[in-house]
Parts: sequence; C-alpha cells; structure tokens
Amino acid sequence: MGFRSFLHRITAPVLSGERPLGPCKMVCIVNQGLKMGKGKIAAQVGHGAVMATMKAGAEKPLHLEQWLATGQKKVCLKGQDAEHLLALEKQAKAAGISTTIVRDAGHTQIPSGSLTVLALGPATESELERITGELKLL
Amino acid sequence: MVSTVDEPSMVFIARHDLKMSAGKLAVQCSHAAVSCTMNARKTHARLVERWRNAGARKICLRADDLATLQRLAGQAQVAGLVTYLVKDAGHTEVPPGTITVLGIGPAPRRAIDALVSELKPY
Repeated sequence: MGFRSFLHRITAPVLSGERPLGPCKMVCIVNQGLKMGKGKIAAQVGHGAVMATMKAGAEKPLHLEQWLATGQKKVCLKGQDAEHLLALEKQAKAAGISTTIVRDAGHTQIPSGSLTVLALGPATESELERITGELKLL
Repeated sequence: MVSTVDEPSMVFIARHDLKMSAGKLAVQCSHAAVSCTMNARKTHARLVERWRNAGARKICLRADDLATLQRLAGQAQVAGLVTYLVKDAGHTEVPPGTITVLGIGPAPRRAIDALVSELKPY
C-alpha cells in the first residue's frame, strides 16, 4: 500500500448505516413491452446498474461495499410493461430497498422517455426474493 | 456549447462467439459499466462527472472472438483510456474464468470511435 492510500485509509470517515444481513445482489428488471435489441437492453441495464451503484454509495454504503467485495452479483429479470415495473418499484420502496428507474433518451429504437429498466438494490438476497421471486430470468 | 463529438462515452464490446442470452449479456455489460465507473472515478473524476451529466452515453458492440477483445484492450490502454475486462464467475452459461465483455470509458467519443469504428452494434 502506498503512503497516500495509507493516509486516506486512516483518515477516511467511518462508514455508517444499517449493516446487510446476508449476501447482497442487484436485480435489474427489463420492460419486455418494448421491443429492444440485445445490445440496447445491455446498455439500458448498464445505465441502471451505474445509477443504482451511485445511489447506494450515498444511501447504503455498507451494502454497496459488501456487494462490490463479493463480485457484484447481478440478475436480469423480465417485467411485463411500464405499469408492472412501477408497481414493483412501489413494493420495493415500501420494503426499504433502494430503487432506480431508467428512462431512455430515445436516440435509438424506442420513443423518448420510455421506462426501460428498474434496478433494485444492492440489497440482501432474501429481501429481493420476496419482491422478485416470481419473475422469469431474461 | 459542447459539440456532441466531444461528449464522453462508454462502450461495451461483447464476444459474439459465446452466444450469451440477452440477460447474460446485460449482466456482463453492467459489470463492466460499474467497474469502469468506479475505477474512472479515482483517476478521471471530472470526465466521469461530465459523462454522467451528459446522459452517461453507453453503447454495446460485438466482437468475433477473445483475440479481438484483448487487442482492443491493449490499444485502449496504450491510448490512456480506462478499460475493464469482465471475467465471468461461470455460475451459468459459460465456463468459469471466461472473458465475456470489454468495457472502455468513459472517454472522449473521438478516442473511442478511433478504436472501435470497424465493429458492428450488438
């Protein structure tokens, strides 16, 4: 470890907040009502993952740290349409899971402002299972 | 007014020969997105901010094999761009340790275009 990173480590603020109870994962639910190509879906899920990560850094740093340290597990699931995604978001919010909505700028393939992806977490697997347990893998 | 050519961009180059499903591809690309962003935040903090404010442009391209990915990763590193090779843990679809996706950026769009202009969108 270099001298500077050593200094950073000993002077960094202590992470606080709730500690995750068990392994964490991130779930991305893709709106299947839109006919997006594979590459488009990949880019949209990428948006969701980065936004959710940044959000977690501010809201749940301990969850984020554990998730990054254990190989940042991600799962991609199918959602029916925009209403379905919004309903799931509501449930997740009520359960205290951080949620991120991705709306497309509409440069390619689909109209501007379409709700493409809902990202949930990083949160513990058991918490997420309760909300997304019935959804199919993409 | 900043021209669109200078807007920072991130690119994922995925291996087409692995025949990954849409979900698998999306997950691998988002690994690259998160890791590139976290790494770039340490070294290119202002570029990352500019990229996120301009809508965090991301595109997904395809490469035919591993050799292409490694060649592009080398070229991008020589050009001083942030790169990340995603190595899959192999829980599903592909054997453990398989390199699936190369993430480059955020980087100026011109620098990325110079590297990947011959690749097709996935």
